[in-house]
Amino acid sequence: MQIVLLPGLLCDASMWSGQIAALQPHADVVVADFSQLDQIGAMAEAALALRDGPIVAVGHSMGGRVALEMVRRAPERIAKLVLLDTGARPRREGEEATRQVLVDLADRDGMAALAARWLPPMVHEDRIGDAGLMEPLGAMVLRATPEQHRRQIRALLDRPDALPQLGAIRCPTLVMVGRQDRWSPLAQNEEIAAAIPGAELVVIENSGHMAPAEQPAQVTAALLRFLGLPETPADSIPAVPLFDRARSRRGYRINKMAMGLSRPENRAAFLAGEEAYLDRFGLSAEEKRAVMARDWREMVRLGGNLFFILKISAVDPVRITEIGAHQAGMDHDTFLRERLGKR
Amino acid sequence: MAKLIGGLGTSHVPSIAAAIDKGLAGTDAWKPFFDGYVPAKEWIARAKPDIAVVIFNDHGNSFFLDRVPTFAVGCAEEYRPVDEGWGPRPIPPFEGAADFSWHLIDTLVDSRFDPMICQEIEVDHGLQVPLELFFGRPEAWPVRVVPIFVNVIQYPIPLPSRCYEMGRVLRQAIESWPGDERVVVIGTGGLSHQLQGSRAGFVNPEADRAFLKDIATDPDRLAAMSRERYVEMFGSEGAELMMWLVMRGAMDRDVVVRHTHYFVPASMTGAGMIVMENAATAEEADPVAPSPGPEAPATDPEVQAA
Repeated sequence: MQIVLLPGLLCDASMWSGQIAALQPHADVVVADFSQLDQIGAMAEAALALRDGPIVAVGHSMGGRVALEMVRRAPERIAKLVLLDTGARPRREGEEATRQVLVDLADRDGMAALAARWLPPMVHEDRIGDAGLMEPLGAMVLRATPEQHRRQIRALLDRPDALPQLGAIRCPTLVMVGRQDRWSPLAQNEEIAAAIPGAELVVIENSGHMAPAEQPAQVTAALLRFLGLPETPADSIPAVPLFDRARSRRGYRINKMAMGLSRPENRAAFLAGEEAYLDRFGLSAEEKRAVMARDWREMVRLGGNLFFILKISAVDPVRITEIGAHQAGMDHDTFLRERLGKR
Repeated sequence: MAKLIGGLGTSHVPSIAAAIDKGLAGTDAWKPFFDGYVPAKEWIARAKPDIAVVIFNDHGNSFFLDRVPTFAVGCAEEYRPVDEGWGPRPIPPFEGAADFSWHLIDTLVDSRFDPMICQEIEVDHGLQVPLELFFGRPEAWPVRVVPIFVNVIQYPIPLPSRCYEMGRVLRQAIESWPGDERVVVIGTGGLSHQLQGSRAGFVNPEADRAFLKDIATDPDRLAAMSRERYVEMFGSEGAELMMWLVMRGAMDRDVVVRHTHYFVPASMTGAGMIVMENAATAEEADPVAPSPGPEAPATDPEVQAA
């Protein structure tokens, strides 16, 4: 699965850090860079060019508008669409003047002044004093420049009216919005979800406009569910992949395949035609690759549990310490010496 | 009334079985490990238990992930060794103590532990290796077994404190059993080891040695530790050490330690062993002297809940 994350005005990959950590074990994840572009159409083309073939487009705010433009231009490329805190309507009356105030502010007083003015209304009002949220957001704005701001404001002012195209969208679509989003309010996102056939709306509780950063867990959970991916929370103990429900569900097929090797007839089948044996258990291409390459680290990443996948070593002998060394990223001698104190 | 004559703890590393099968027990690499078990074998030869209650975990051999009992008790007449992938091992099947097993199950359920009940199940190295370490390789095992399976693989695994409490109920079952069998309880697993993830190969000899002390003198502390703490200290697979707490919970507060042994690494594991007797009824002077234990306590669930 290829996932392209599309950030909003003045935003970058840091906006998505919670989602990236959860998605990366399962998918090829890339974040588009719109810092140099000043038209939604050019942004859509740039994002489409990041990967070949089908992609999941996930757009936040301005990135949502880019996602809609990607669907309009290349509907066959968009396998699934996720919109967060966004809009579909064209420029409102008087919008240019309101936005020009901020462009002038950034030009005159710099990005710190812009961040101080622009960011607070973007988040839930209870979070304005929350340094844990606001400091990274502020740092993100400071990484941008007044020129980037001006370009992206130009793109927003020139945005297409996407409302008429929504009824033609055919791919599965998820719309998310912070319940307290004051910039792209709930009603506006409800309107989008209602217009896209079959679209699902998820309201992110206790969140303003910056939902991916304000409520990363809620956004990530909805995203994983929508994409049919298991939830793999970050390891609570570093470097220890506890065999929790996410890993157990993720690894069910691979472990069942390995469990099968307890039977002599299955061991014979594995030896006679490994891929055909793996196919009997419905292993995905990446699971088959990991098994056939004896890539133990990858098998564990895919939910394999050592007690099951160890049975592969009964058919194709390899020492448990070699399996350990592989996972530790060490050669065997170094592993024996440094981890197990041998010699 | 049956009699609890000892509490034993041991690692159940499968490489130990492989070393025996391949005739490597006398090699330089393994001899120091097996030598440490000689006094324990002598102890058990003198103690002559009739029944061994073995607390262990299945390692993806008899249970797959389709059904994972938190606790399961075997009540079969016989337990055959399971093929773990390397073919059948040359060891005899294990005779069960089915009647006592059913009594244990009754006692557990009356005391609000609700195990899976297994009338037909094979056993893996988790039970095989401890029996081989304590009894060697006889033609037939000189003891009948009662397997207690604990899920220590698929989260959520039980709390260490729960294992400890289960041991207390096991003790009640032993003492309320009308037979006069001599019973040993064997907690298995551990000590520190981790087989998966980038911390694979983690061992913690210092923590292991402390555990071998504390299991005798300060089990309450070990029972109060969180699962996460076990994983941190003993590794992801080392958390199976909590199964020793079932054994310890069956013992009195005051115990006499007869033997301990520690060897690292056995394969990728810190391997430990302990032999304990209850201080009040220690038999070393006269191994077959009957002991005037307390009357069998009633298994009243209301009392248990307190």
